[in-house]
Amino acid sequence: MSLLELKDVSKVYGELHALDKANLTVEKGEWIAIMGPSGSGKSTMMNIIGCMDRPTSGQVIFDGRDISKESRKKLTEFHRDKIGLVFQQFHLINYLNAVENVMVAQYYHSMPDEKEALEALERVGLKDRARHLPSQLSGGEQQRVCIARALINSPQLILADEPTGNLDEANENIVLDIFKQLHKEGTSLVVVTHDPEVGEVAQRIVRLEHGKIVSDKKNENFTE
Amino acid sequence: MNKKQRMFIRMVVASLIRRRSRMIVALLAIVVGATILSGLGMIYYDVPRQMSAQFRSYGANIIFTPSGDGYVSEEDLDQGVSIFKKEELEGFTPYRYENSNIHNLPVTLAGTDFDSVMKTSPYWHISGRLPMGDGETLVGAKAAEKLGLDIGDSVSAQNSFMITEDTDLTKIPDYEIYTDPETGEKYCDHLLEMQVTGILETGGPEEEYIYTTFHDISSLTLSERGYDIVEVSVAAMQDRLKDYIKTINSNVSGISSKLVKRVTASESTVLTKLESLVFIVTLVVLALTMICVATTMTAVIAERRREIGLRKALGALNSSIIAEFMSEGLLLGGVGGIIGAVLGYFFADVVSMNVFSSSITFRPLLIPITIAASVLVTGLACLIPIRSAVDVDPALVLKGE
Repeated sequence: MSLLELKDVSKVYGELHALDKANLTVEKGEWIAIMGPSGSGKSTMMNIIGCMDRPTSGQVIFDGRDISKESRKKLTEFHRDKIGLVFQQFHLINYLNAVENVMVAQYYHSMPDEKEALEALERVGLKDRARHLPSQLSGGEQQRVCIARALINSPQLILADEPTGNLDEANENIVLDIFKQLHKEGTSLVVVTHDPEVGEVAQRIVRLEHGKIVSDKKNENFTE
Repeated sequence: MNKKQRMFIRMVVASLIRRRSRMIVALLAIVVGATILSGLGMIYYDVPRQMSAQFRSYGANIIFTPSGDGYVSEEDLDQGVSIFKKEELEGFTPYRYENSNIHNLPVTLAGTDFDSVMKTSPYWHISGRLPMGDGETLVGAKAAEKLGLDIGDSVSAQNSFMITEDTDLTKIPDYEIYTDPETGEKYCDHLLEMQVTGILETGGPEEEYIYTTFHDISSLTLSERGYDIVEVSVAAMQDRLKDYIKTINSNVSGISSKLVKRVTASESTVLTKLESLVFIVTLVVLALTMICVATTMTAVIAERRREIGLRKALGALNSSIIAEFMSEGLLLGGVGGIIGAVLGYFFADVVSMNVFSSSITFRPLLIPITIAASVLVTGLACLIPIRSAVDVDPALVLKGE
């Protein structure tokens, strides 16, 4: 059974078809890059996959469950349990330190555990920065805290929106190395990006244009 | 306390402490509001007491007169005034009136206690000074004009009475005896020499009298007796004064007490209007304060829209976000309320010292009321922006739209 299936998913805003009958399957443990220019529907697809929005038509089946018609509350509970989010702008809470930011995700999911949160930070190489506030961390470090936060509840899918968009090359490589490691460990990844370098490291590349999937190919250059 | 509750407290405390500058602005708005509320509350409750004291400059508000044909005795007076609360009794002044002649013109002498007279008649305007003992007199302006008297003049009050077998002339220091040629009865003209120390102006009937000490008036009349009238000044509201009068009239047989209506009625009218004014001002200020606190809290919440969006994206339910943000608001409201309640007392005291020249009475009940009102207002002020903020679409907020 696939982890995620989009079947003829459309999202219409008035006259605008942000997503037009998109079909996509994500297998467990797969690493997919969704690419396309601005306005191609990447963000809309990400919001629908991330359960932050509902399609106008079509079906979204996650782990065998059709979530396309679920209420907002059910969707919130669902994505809290199944999906870890990584944002381009990190979105850390500025008055909480690194470990507390990770614990916030635990707090809304189940039970906060500082030890586990520190282990998640260690996994992204930030254990020694655990007590620092976001303002005391570099962009790369903030993104790694964001990844640790996404990982803390052991989600079935990591959904990353332009995860390296605000990073320099060195930090971009660190983040991509973490994604590689996660993929090796069997974590499913969907990375939305317009950066070819980030797309090139994924196992499969899906291209969007004007709300339609125009190509869905395995990456021949993918290396484990 | 489980780990989730500990994390909840950790987040709330971190938000309050690490967002210090923002929180200080919000706290300041709440403290200012609570201070004004507490201060005006104290002033509102203290106005009757303060104004009652101020109104004492209008003079006595209770009069004791003899209940029968006699006089008010010293014992009855002591018993009567003992009924008033010490802190409310501003003072009392007894008067004894006697007819006499000065320069062959009839005058009324009023014996009184010059040590207490200014407490019950603070509006008296005296040119010169009050008599300091026997042999000195205060002359009402009209009497002074009629008799041609001025400060420093000597005046001789005359009292004529028939000499009987009981008359002991050895007690009289200065007198003249004459015989009525028609009846053959002997009369004694007793003279009392006094020096005018002051002229009294009130614009009222007091200007007709010549004031002396009780001792002098007794010497002149050769008789000791009680008082014709006692003026009492009490710092209390009309209802309380009525209660006092009822108690005195039923417990002190020799006294008939009554309100000085022209004073108490006008006091009551002015006080009612003043209370209404302070009440309306308090309400208006409270409303403005609420708007101020609400505006500040709305701004504080609005700038955290992105954080609310993030929390939703992390799986927070609306109820959970409302609980967290409301806790912060209520905690701020509580702290602001405590600080404001204390500052409000000092604010009210400063106002009272400037307006009434006396300290405000501390009302402990206003402390919990202020804190409760502060928490309630802050809670309401937070609820509206929080409720609209939790409806944000996390996807849009996190995209920066």
